[in-house]
Amino acid sequence: MSTEDKVKINKLPTGVPGLDEIVGGGLPEFSFNIIAGAPGSGKTTLAHQFVFANATPERPALYFTVLGESTIKMLRYQQQYSFFDPSMLPGSIRFINLSEVVLEKDLGAVLEQITKEVEKASPAVVVVDSFRTMVRKPESDMDLQSFIQRLALFLASWQATTFLIGEYAEDELRDNPIFTVADGLIWLRQTAERNSIVRKLQVIKLRGQDSVPGLHTFRITDAGVQAFSRTFGLTSRKRNPPSNRRLCFGVPELDKMLGGGVPEGDSVLIAGSSGTGKSVLATQFVAEGIRNGEPGIVAVFEERPEAYAERATSLGLDLETPQTDGKLTILYLRPLDLSVDETMQSILDAVQKIGAKRLVIDSLAGFEMALSPGFRADFRESLYRMIFALTGIGVTILSTVEVDESFTQFPFSTYSISFLTDDIIRLRYVSIDGQLRKILVVIKMRGGNHAKDIREYEITDKGVVILGKRLANYQALISGIPIRSDRPNSADEPSLDNGIEPKT
Amino acid sequence: MLGKKMKAAPTMRDLARCLLTYEAGADKASEPMESPTLRVYEKLRQSLAEFAGVAAFESLAFRALTQAKSEAPSLWAVKVAADGSLQGLARYETQIDMDKDLVGEFPAGDGGIILIARLLGLLRLFLGEALTLSLLRNVWPGAALDNCNSENGRKA
Repeated sequence: MSTEDKVKINKLPTGVPGLDEIVGGGLPEFSFNIIAGAPGSGKTTLAHQFVFANATPERPALYFTVLGESTIKMLRYQQQYSFFDPSMLPGSIRFINLSEVVLEKDLGAVLEQITKEVEKASPAVVVVDSFRTMVRKPESDMDLQSFIQRLALFLASWQATTFLIGEYAEDELRDNPIFTVADGLIWLRQTAERNSIVRKLQVIKLRGQDSVPGLHTFRITDAGVQAFSRTFGLTSRKRNPPSNRRLCFGVPELDKMLGGGVPEGDSVLIAGSSGTGKSVLATQFVAEGIRNGEPGIVAVFEERPEAYAERATSLGLDLETPQTDGKLTILYLRPLDLSVDETMQSILDAVQKIGAKRLVIDSLAGFEMALSPGFRADFRESLYRMIFALTGIGVTILSTVEVDESFTQFPFSTYSISFLTDDIIRLRYVSIDGQLRKILVVIKMRGGNHAKDIREYEITDKGVVILGKRLANYQALISGIPIRSDRPNSADEPSLDNGIEPKT
Repeated sequence: MLGKKMKAAPTMRDLARCLLTYEAGADKASEPMESPTLRVYEKLRQSLAEFAGVAAFESLAFRALTQAKSEAPSLWAVKVAADGSLQGLARYETQIDMDKDLVGEFPAGDGGIILIARLLGLLRLFLGEALTLSLLRNVWPGAALDNCNSENGRKA
């Protein structure tokens, strides 16, 4: 069968930001779906968003309410969401209460009533909220499975996309014949993780659609439900081809050590203990990008954007003007209950808004602390997805990470995430001549050669400044307690691996 | 809110008067024996019972009547039945005076207006102005509800 011969299934927008991506581009038209979850998980709000996104006066939505929440109270609360358009009621969206039929008759009568209303209105969308409450009458003549089966057949014939909303607990998912009838099953979960609430949704089933598997974080705000796809909405975007460009720090000696700068699209880690200048170097990196016409994003977790910009000013770096000009965004991601996916969405939105080429995450420790405890367990995995997605679209990421100084070890990160990074720059304190000085070394560069030199640096009012030549007259520098050797400091230029000359 | 911006809302009494006047006009053409208050009330009952359920309407109507009785004691004999219908209004309705010269004041005989106004007031309280007007427009598509301010309401 050729592609032309196959039936085309239209995809309807869900009205839920992020959910279209998760369900594979939209919900199939005329599909019969169940939205399941515990009370308060956002089922009704999600259904309302779909209804408001798709109902028209010509093809209205019928919203059948049954027992449970009063329609008036439900609308009182739902209209607080920004998607709620009261002018669509009742012309495009009709609410019909079935509680009397349910209480006084049986499921057959409910089906009859729904049939009558559907035949009268020819709706594009039908919602039954909540169908679960209908079967709590033991004397019902029709069982729920039969009711669902007949309802699904009828509504499909009438070309309606349908949602049944039901309160289900996790353990009811298995072997439930109701779910076999449905074309789509969206499960909303809400769990408490220590003091935080974590909301996740899962498209357990969606016939004919290439939905994104797994659990996706969602949040309910005054705009309604917002979902955050695990793939960050980047599944349809091709990865950028590798670039030969190098992005400078604006610290000439460091750029030489890096073989001309950081390869574009790399993930760079700057590791060091407190006060070694990680944030300073990160700020210089983003400021240099702006000087070269590369917009940047700085995601900060530990201080307010104003304080961050003010600190940059003390280093002679102006972060105020580029913010005004739309070339720099300093994102302050509120330090409570975040998921990586949410953070990622904020960063992606900012990247797309200003066309950012450089992203600074300052710091990973702050990022982790900003997450809800439930998400911290998945931090490394989430970070991997985030870095892979962002570098794939050509963004160069510089992350800072604080490491504890040790005189027996030389750790690069407390997260064991060096596999996530292409390049690692390590900063540390050393004790030399009765002073606590700072040294810098490029540990790794996945895409190119780099200097092996250990260089001393200072933080001045111009930022990080590398001093002199490499420290050749000391041994065991990386231990932090070096031993002076008889060799004088090298007069050579920084040497690169494989004998490649540094770019200048 | 995404909804189209509504005009400044009339007061509930003006809105009630508007609806009663509209129904009184329709009354002459069709069912002259039925009171305008009852016609307005019944239309609201049918619409809201379908929308929110009979029990929800009955609760609202009972509350509205209780409030109205405190303002118009002559409504003392009126009751709300279990199905939400109004009982005892017919004999009382003859006293209702649709006095067109009174501005914002309601003589004792205007109990019907007060009852409807109270019901509309509860709807506005729970559903908001925009949604209430949207629902009313659906029940009375021919009535110029946006013009139901104090002056226009009486001209309608």
